[in-house]
Amino acid sequence: MLTVTDLNAYYGQAQVLKQVSITADAGQVVVILGPNGHGKSTLLKSICGLVERVVGAVIYQGENILGQPTDRIVNQGLIYIAENRELFPHMTVLENLKLGAYAKSARAHEKRNLEMVFDLFPRLADRRNQLSSTMSGGEARMLAVARGLMSNAELLCVDEPSLGLQPSLRFEIFSIIQKINKQGKTVLLVEQNIPQITELADRIYVIEEGRISFEGSKEEALSNEHLKEIFLGM
Amino acid sequence: MSWQRMAAIMGVVYGIVAILPLFVGDIRFIMQILIICLIWAVVASCWDVIMGFAGIFSFGQVAFFVIGAYTSGIFAVSWQVPAVLAILMAGLFTAGMGVLVGLPCLKLAGPYVALVTFGVHMTLMPLLRGDIGIALGSGGSVGILTIPPITLFGYAFSSANIIPTFYLTLALAVTCSVVILVVINSYWGTAFLALKDSEEFAVSLGISAFKYKLMVFALTSFLTGVVGAYYGHYIGMLSTRMLELDLFVTLMVMLVVGGIGKFPGAILGAFITVTVNELLAPLGSYRAVTMGALVVILVLLLPNGVMGFWLRRSKAGATST
Amino acid sequence: MSEDTLFLIYELIDVIISGLTNGSVYALMAVGLTLVYGVTKAFNFAYGSFFNLGGYLAWLMIPVVGAVGGYVSIFIAVIPIMFIVGYGLEKSLVAPLRKRPEWEMKVMMMTLGLALFMDNLYAVVFGGRVKSLPPILEGTLDVGDLVFSYQDIMIFFLSIGGILLFGWILNNTRIGMAVQAVAQNPEGAKIVGIPEKRIFAATFAISTAMVGFGGILLSQKYFISPMSGGAIMVKSWVITAFGGMGSIRGGLYAAFIIGMLEAFVGYTLGMSYSMIALFILLLTTLALRPQGLMGRA
Repeated sequence: MLTVTDLNAYYGQAQVLKQVSITADAGQVVVILGPNGHGKSTLLKSICGLVERVVGAVIYQGENILGQPTDRIVNQGLIYIAENRELFPHMTVLENLKLGAYAKSARAHEKRNLEMVFDLFPRLADRRNQLSSTMSGGEARMLAVARGLMSNAELLCVDEPSLGLQPSLRFEIFSIIQKINKQGKTVLLVEQNIPQITELADRIYVIEEGRISFEGSKEEALSNEHLKEIFLGM
Repeated sequence: MSWQRMAAIMGVVYGIVAILPLFVGDIRFIMQILIICLIWAVVASCWDVIMGFAGIFSFGQVAFFVIGAYTSGIFAVSWQVPAVLAILMAGLFTAGMGVLVGLPCLKLAGPYVALVTFGVHMTLMPLLRGDIGIALGSGGSVGILTIPPITLFGYAFSSANIIPTFYLTLALAVTCSVVILVVINSYWGTAFLALKDSEEFAVSLGISAFKYKLMVFALTSFLTGVVGAYYGHYIGMLSTRMLELDLFVTLMVMLVVGGIGKFPGAILGAFITVTVNELLAPLGSYRAVTMGALVVILVLLLPNGVMGFWLRRSKAGATST
Repeated sequence: MSEDTLFLIYELIDVIISGLTNGSVYALMAVGLTLVYGVTKAFNFAYGSFFNLGGYLAWLMIPVVGAVGGYVSIFIAVIPIMFIVGYGLEKSLVAPLRKRPEWEMKVMMMTLGLALFMDNLYAVVFGGRVKSLPPILEGTLDVGDLVFSYQDIMIFFLSIGGILLFGWILNNTRIGMAVQAVAQNPEGAKIVGIPEKRIFAATFAISTAMVGFGGILLSQKYFISPMSGGAIMVKSWVITAFGGMGSIRGGLYAAFIIGMLEAFVGYTLGMSYSMIALFILLLTTLALRPQGLMGRA
């Protein structure tokens, strides 16, 4: 479904990604682990056309989408769900969700997706007329994920959804991601070092200092001493 | 650019200008243009210090020039103050006005500064033409018509003695340019580069953005005021015509042509622009149209002015050898 | 009541009406300007020249309009033209600057050059003499001794109508919501797939259409003169800054306050003092509240 080959990304003079290659097959959950500031978010943003200077190839459904503007990428079924949420603060929950379905490919399914989202996040349905800036951290995170789902995307690039959440909420958001995956969506998930995340993963990559330092199945990751020590906290 | 290089370019430009009277000294028309070039070179450089180096979106440069010119004119005509003293007083008064405008607006975001400073410009015309201006001696819509020339030790520097007047103007322009050169390369200059790079970081180093911005505002207003006053005494008359948009835009062309923040590009820009403007004179009423179109095109196509063009070429040359 | 007091009251009512009429058009223009600034962060110095473009286009149409439709056909023709002109200019002149360092400054310089170009082009093409448009509606409405001109009434209601329509578009259409999204969070807007470049151009175009509409409305009360754009531009910007840049509600209040202030200063001290009064008001406001009346800090 998605093949990234030899991706190099730059912010100004600094090179953030070096020769990064990953693949994700349809229906998989691919987890990307790595310490803070080593390029995980940049990888997701590069895939979704949100980084200015990127070299390499991003093949999605057989087409190289690198260099296309984000609105076209979203239209083809990829969506970035930001770690810092990036909501529209002076709009209600409902308005935020409706803007999530801005892409042409999403408009026809807006109604159905809204029902699906309210089904997954009943709390958002209760608060549909509340301003998004007045929501708690956990609810705002839910809204960010929900808004991403409104785009009707096939591939979700989810950036650290558990960041700053208390354990019970983390568990909730991971189980929702699992549910979404069961419905047939492919998920590219970036996390820092959360043990329970490995449960979800079909495939794990580790990024250190902008390079892929490990690649393998969840079993391989769990048996790798170096990874266990550093990322899985075991 | 290193300060040696800036000084070298300045030296070459002013050096060439200094020997020009040997060839064109008896063509009054060209001498007059040269004097005007020198005057605008200083005003454009001052603006460049504010916009290009200090990063302040000030649009009050022509206003300060006119304030300087009128202040000195009023002192000289209504109060019979000797020209040299009047010019100095005008400089100080303009600096004071600069601080007065700077105090409320330098803490504001860029577009607000642009608006307030341009507002000063726009208010000046009704002020000088109205009752308040007339009471102060601005001459209303007629302007001030009989400003005495500068007299030093009994010698009058007027357009009747064009060559000595030219050298006096050159001396003034060189002095002002050297002051600007020193400022850009002093601790102030470094502080401004730091502020432009990252205001937060600079502030954490103990650089007070506001204090430096106010100081640079005062200094450039002073220089602009002095040059404006000098201009008034040289031309002999003033009117609010100077406040119309075309002079303002012409000054801006100088900056864009020279390259913003590429001192001494502004000096080159002034010479090029004044010359081109004179060449466009046959266009008559289309001249301003052309000037306007020129700004649009130059901003889009010449992002770093002639200096940028030149620097890039010399850089390319350096790497290829 | 003595004759003198009665006379004074009538004069005051006249001043208030003038303030309200002008204020409503200023509101229309300020709302357009504050929107562009809020969404695109571009500072358009040619705004006043677009005001005059609206006036001149209307003036050009008058011979045609004598036959068909009156002002209705002027609005139908001129407003879309203004929109297209705005869209094209943003795409060709503003958008290329957006990626440059210090692009805000460069946009200011570029639009100032554009203003000089447009103003002098008007002078060359239409001549320096002022043009006038016929009133949108002749006649007066007499309420007892009070006389209201239909022209003022029409200007007022058309401006308010324009603002309401604009507000409706902003809150009830997909493109309107997208415009607000870009203003509130550009990165978030990009993420959900809003084509920000098209939104920038559309916003610029909407504001151009609004100021053109304002130009048609006010030009039939005063005159169209080629060089008057500068004053209109500064006035619109002062209102926008006074109300708080990017705040539509602030712009609305500011427009009426300034319309009134101008009318009263004009009545008591003379029209030439209105700009000075505006400027003093702006300076005091910014000294006390740097973000303007209702801007977000």
